[in-house]
Amino acid sequence: MDFGTIIAGLLTLAILTFLYRDNPIYKLAEYLLVGVAVGYALVIAWKSAMVDLLFTPLFGQGDWSLLLPLILGLMMFGRFHARTSFISRVPLAVLIGSGAGAAVPAMLGPRILTQVSGSVTPLVGTDGLPNWSGLIVIVGVLSTLAYFFFSREHRGSLGVASKVGTWFLMIFFGTTFGYTVMSRMSTFIGRAEFLLTDFLHLTR
Amino acid sequence: MKKLESRHWAFLGLAIVVIGTMLLNLEPDLDVSPDTIRMHAFIDSLPAGSIILVSFDHEASALPEIKPLATAFLRHAFGKGLRPVGIALMAEGTAVGYRLMEQVAAEYHKQYGIDYAFLGYQPQYIAAILSLGESVKQTFPRDYVGHPYDSLPLLREVHKLSDFGAVISIADGNMVTHWVEYGRARFNVTVAAFVTAVMVTSYDPYVSSGQLRAMVGGLRGAAEYEKLIGIGGAGRRGMLAQAASHLYVLALILVGNVIYFTTRSRKGRG
Repeated sequence: MDFGTIIAGLLTLAILTFLYRDNPIYKLAEYLLVGVAVGYALVIAWKSAMVDLLFTPLFGQGDWSLLLPLILGLMMFGRFHARTSFISRVPLAVLIGSGAGAAVPAMLGPRILTQVSGSVTPLVGTDGLPNWSGLIVIVGVLSTLAYFFFSREHRGSLGVASKVGTWFLMIFFGTTFGYTVMSRMSTFIGRAEFLLTDFLHLTR
Repeated sequence: MKKLESRHWAFLGLAIVVIGTMLLNLEPDLDVSPDTIRMHAFIDSLPAGSIILVSFDHEASALPEIKPLATAFLRHAFGKGLRPVGIALMAEGTAVGYRLMEQVAAEYHKQYGIDYAFLGYQPQYIAAILSLGESVKQTFPRDYVGHPYDSLPLLREVHKLSDFGAVISIADGNMVTHWVEYGRARFNVTVAAFVTAVMVTSYDPYVSSGQLRAMVGGLRGAAEYEKLIGIGGAGRRGMLAQAASHLYVLALILVGNVIYFTTRSRKGRG
């Protein structure tokens, strides 16, 4: 068994001790996880972004156009002092402006328009029979929207529609919760398999 | 020593159920869902030699679900002669993705740089996707292990995102949405996803509207995919434990409710 597997096995057991109660062994494993994750992300980001995309082309290949993002990046550090914090507004404005410019059209199309058109399907199939799936989607979308319509009191037909919408929402939350439980079980099964197979060699 | 509470007994029971079923070493038969069949058919429909972008968009904590999914998919892709190019839009996915691709490529005797490659990680995922749409080489001037982009024959065949046959996102969060919103909508590339079970309901509407070509989710999805490609793996091995643990949770809910209603009726009478 290699050294990495022994460490991983012991750390897995350390994390599982939390199920009994909070303890120093669990804390050690938790802090180690956070520290390693942050350290790893920092090193990877430094190499992938700063070295490969900035320093090497700028200083190694003389691509002076990269001076502008370098200066904008340095201006961000102005936030560390009250007297220079105004300098950081310029790169922040560029960041938010370009981000919003890219995000608004991207979200409007795929997240709203295409989803709306995807919800509208023929209510009668080519065989002349009702398209039950399409009907349920239409009822679900309209009643859920009715639930979130707060400009009028939920009474009468709006009250009935919003009640139906509540049922659709509950079904959605129930399904999501069910999948979440399944996901957490899978995580435990994955660790149990690692412990039984790689760490303890009890199964194939 | 702290006195054991009811939750401790519940955890202990779950551990016994899961470990006990795993020690049986059984792989139960299971039905394959239409979602998994759709994904398998889509990967199958890509011509041999197609270059696909595989994005490892997950954290290390999702490994128990992600590893069986990614392994089954990569086995199918390499077995079919597809040529995957790996990237990561989350830092922790970098090492995981690279190791998985290396392991599965070795099973199929594939050669790095010709049959597959791994470009590494890029921060700022939206900027990275938009940049890939303009130029893959400018986004990743070097691969993960430091080779210059043009030194790998496989990479010389792709210049921008639309040159890829498909983007396959292996994700545990909302990164698939960004691939759909920026990759598909802007650069017209086909997007499919292997996701953790918890994300399935978030992405179902995108599959229904056709924006996401196919989606496979969770350990169950991995087991189904393993069945379709005819190679066993962690997904099928974990299915018995998955089923047993769900039955155990159902039993706990039932017992909990019986105790609750019995206690309430007794209090009512008292």
